[in-house]
Amino acid sequence: MGEHLLEVQDLKLYFKVKAGYVHAVNGVSFSVKPGERVGVVGESGCGKSVTALSIMRLIPQPPGEYIGGSVLFEDEDLLSLPESQMRRIRGSKIGMIFQDPMTCLNPTMTVGAQIAEGLRIHLKVSKDEAMKRAISLLDQVGIPDAARRINSYPHQFSGGMRQRVMIAIALACNPKLLIADEPTTALDVTVQAQILELINGVCKEFGTAVILITHDLGVVAGMTDRVVVMYAGKVVETAPTDELFANPRHPYTLGLLDSVPRLDEQRTSMLRTIEGAPPDLVHPPAGCPFMPRCAFARAICRTMPSLDPLPGNSAHRKACWVDVTDPREQAYAEKRRRARLEAMQAAIALAADETAQPAS
Amino acid sequence: MDISEQLNLSNTTEEEIEPFLEVTPALVQKRRSQGRIIFDRFMRNKAAIIGAAFLVFMFLFCFLGPTVTGHNDPNATHVTSVSDTLAGPSWKYPLGTDDVGRDTLARAMVGGQTSLIVGLASMLMAIIFGVGIGSFAGYYGGIVDNLLMRFTDVILAIPFYLLLFVLSATFTDGSPRSVIILIAAFGWTYSARLVRGEFLALREREYVLAARTIGAKNFSIMFRHILPNAAGPIIVNATLLVGANIITESVLSYFGFGIQPPVASWGSMIGVAQNLIDVDPLLVFVPGLLIFFTVLSFNLVGDGLRDALDPYMTER
Repeated sequence: MGEHLLEVQDLKLYFKVKAGYVHAVNGVSFSVKPGERVGVVGESGCGKSVTALSIMRLIPQPPGEYIGGSVLFEDEDLLSLPESQMRRIRGSKIGMIFQDPMTCLNPTMTVGAQIAEGLRIHLKVSKDEAMKRAISLLDQVGIPDAARRINSYPHQFSGGMRQRVMIAIALACNPKLLIADEPTTALDVTVQAQILELINGVCKEFGTAVILITHDLGVVAGMTDRVVVMYAGKVVETAPTDELFANPRHPYTLGLLDSVPRLDEQRTSMLRTIEGAPPDLVHPPAGCPFMPRCAFARAICRTMPSLDPLPGNSAHRKACWVDVTDPREQAYAEKRRRARLEAMQAAIALAADETAQPAS
Repeated sequence: MDISEQLNLSNTTEEEIEPFLEVTPALVQKRRSQGRIIFDRFMRNKAAIIGAAFLVFMFLFCFLGPTVTGHNDPNATHVTSVSDTLAGPSWKYPLGTDDVGRDTLARAMVGGQTSLIVGLASMLMAIIFGVGIGSFAGYYGGIVDNLLMRFTDVILAIPFYLLLFVLSATFTDGSPRSVIILIAAFGWTYSARLVRGEFLALREREYVLAARTIGAKNFSIMFRHILPNAAGPIIVNATLLVGANIITESVLSYFGFGIQPPVASWGSMIGVAQNLIDVDPLLVFVPGLLIFFTVLSFNLVGDGLRDALDPYMTER
């Protein structure tokens, strides 16, 4: 077990609502080695952010409830730690960056005070010492004239600079693990690249492991060593990044990759989207959650497959009954997809007829 | 510079090459501090400045006035000559004297000291108490919130002046200190509600979550992260509360429940003088107008601060 820094095992976190339980995280397992960069991808509302927050035990309870599983960090189960010990881990061992740097910085505190706060809590250094370190951190994240900007307030910074400040705060105590929850979603493309480069560089320098949560597959491809694909609160596929992009084995991963426009494709061809929407997590399907939208679906999909390694490649795991590389399966999927498209076109034509009739 | 020289060498047409403009500290625009921005905004509000100027004048008038003008003996009765009682304005007594020959100007100044001190001190106590109750209720929510806020509701449900009359008649000794404590003990309720509301909204902010991710304790989140963000409404409320407390003190003293003679306060001056309003109206008008303008000024300043402390300021 010692080789993993973080090991999430069958984590289940539900939210209690009037209608029952929202199965936000429903049996997620993955692990992170020291210094490894792991990407977590999936579409909106599939439990990526909740997974991250539940590792940090930052989900308010109620409404959140840990139903089962464990989160082992350095062989210590975070879910059974008392709150005071957990507080010691937050910031010092695990840092976190959020999506929107506009709202994550306190508008009434100088950025220096905010960077220094973590240092003062965890390293118990003096105010002057903390400020000195804050200046060098601010310098490291690429803010010019750091000694002077340290006394600025967040509203005097641009979005990209604020995200740099967030990174400085998260890395202030040199944590072993950095959780970045869509760190570039709120930024424009040029700044995105800079921020990713910065996270990459700084983490390599400090030897920090990274969990990068995103729905941008391009970011994952360039930034991570391994990818975890999540759908409806479950991990559906995990593999080394290159392997996943070259050889996706879960229909959902295939769908995600297909829905990204490519430069080497004909421009007029239609983008292949994943039709439909994720299931209602209050009543998740008993079997594979992707089955209702899946072109490869068969009767067997009514029971949930386990996350098994591919034969001959133990690093690549998928939770699917179907072998998507089998030409017969592909032909079957194509047939289903076409039937669906035709049914949809027929329905549209019918609706058009009906609206046209009263006029005539 | 190296690059531009190289380019120059390779460039046969000997064209001038414009060097890159690096961003140096000298080029970065010097920004106003947060305090400066608030101050500048406040200064743009004319009514608030007039109020603030009047308040400064009132403080000087009440606290330095007696020594500067020499009218420093509010309780001395000048009854040796009949012309000194109920006298009109004169060089000797610029605002006249009352029925026992006391110098009205001296009493107005010293009475102002009492009123201002009572107003400010009771505001301070009420705000501290209200912020304490409100922040715990708003931050922790649930049962803590319920208990504290129902307690607040109970206090608010009792008729305010009636309660003050009864309590001051039975428990206080008529000194300014007892009046301060009495007013503060029942004046914290609105600030508690206000602070609770602010905390309820602010605790959901992402920077509170961010503070939690670096391991900040609840206490530090409440008072270092959330409270400064609620400072605007609290300061405005505090300013308005001073005016309200001065009125409360005056009402109590007017009815004889507050500050007891011979200590002067504006309220008790009106209370004593109301029987003489047809003989010497000045005795009522002087303290009355002083109360009016002081409270008005506090309210104008409060309004000005409300605008200046608007948290959505984006200017630099």
